[in-house]
Amino acid sequence: MVRLEDLHPEEAEHMRNMGRRFGQMELGVTPWVSPPPLAESTIALVTSAALHRRDDRPFRFGDQGYRLIPNDTDPADLVQTHVSVNFDRTHYQRDVNVVLPLDRMRELVEAGEVGAVSEWHYSVLGANPNPSRLRDAARDMAQRMRDSGVDCAMLTPV
Amino acid sequence: METATEPTIADYPREAPDGNGDGVWACSVSLPEPNISDLEAALRTEVDLLTPWYEETRRRRGRTTVGISGATPEQIDAVVSFVAACAEDASFWDAPAVAAGPQWNHPMPILLRHVVEDLRAFYQEAVTSRPGSGAPSQHDMHSWIFTETALGRALLQIGQRIAEVGDAPLLMMRGFIIPEGFWADGPSWGQQPSDATGDERMGRAQSYLVGAPASNDRPARE
Repeated sequence: MVRLEDLHPEEAEHMRNMGRRFGQMELGVTPWVSPPPLAESTIALVTSAALHRRDDRPFRFGDQGYRLIPNDTDPADLVQTHVSVNFDRTHYQRDVNVVLPLDRMRELVEAGEVGAVSEWHYSVLGANPNPSRLRDAARDMAQRMRDSGVDCAMLTPV
Repeated sequence: METATEPTIADYPREAPDGNGDGVWACSVSLPEPNISDLEAALRTEVDLLTPWYEETRRRRGRTTVGISGATPEQIDAVVSFVAACAEDASFWDAPAVAAGPQWNHPMPILLRHVVEDLRAFYQEAVTSRPGSGAPSQHDMHSWIFTETALGRALLQIGQRIAEVGDAPLLMMRGFIIPEGFWADGPSWGQQPSDATGDERMGRAQSYLVGAPASNDRPARE
């Protein structure tokens, strides 16, 4: 796990400022739903790594939308238009599972640990100083998940 | 997850394995000392030397992360021309004519950032294929690029040209090109205006970087 003390001081201070701002945000209620046991749940992946298919519309700087990633996507078809240069891309370059664990989820299903994997996964651009701008996208993603029988979303923050 | 009954934040108790193995990474590709008097030629020499190893990585992994700018890996020569032109004297508001060929996915000036990322990914994927090169961390990669390669020289030259233009949104884009710690004169993002919140600054930069600003907003030198 990356910690603030591992970051360059400028980047660490930037993160602290973001944390202070997020801490002041009014979140209202925090809905909590107890899902079915994992072995009976369908899981969707939601990543903020700005992944998308090569022929999909790239994330623009400040993009407030999301991209769909089919569960059977070939990892070779995935690219990343995250704008930040300050996070470690070397592991993602070696194995896309570190930001979108498609293979790991399939293995968990085969092992009976997880019920099923969603037909679709979701990707947003995490470099965003104001997460409330993603509210509409989040609502739409949640609705799509609900409509397609997803019980849990696994978030991979980047 | 099975036992959670309310929102919970828990520290994951396991650390990622040290990507460095023995803790010291050294690039095993021998590149010549960068010739800064002919940056484009120096970049081409590096890309030529790295190409077999980039192809090896691509073959072994079955994928590449190069291609976010719109250039395909086979169009890496156009990517080199693009970066070299922007390091020399090309406008930040129009894609350099010398880099014709690719169907660019983004408008200028943010396109420059994505072109740079494609070239950086090409370098990174190449050097992680060489036997004995181990698994460098991102800091290892940045240190190597910025101290030993023509690519690093080109990026710092682009950073200097951005500093000369002096626009806050362009400086913000420099922060997307040069990681913190590798720009010698303070934060890579430069000094952003203090009369605006981070969100306001990001909003201005967003409209500025994803579409050509009105001509009267352009700095005089452009």
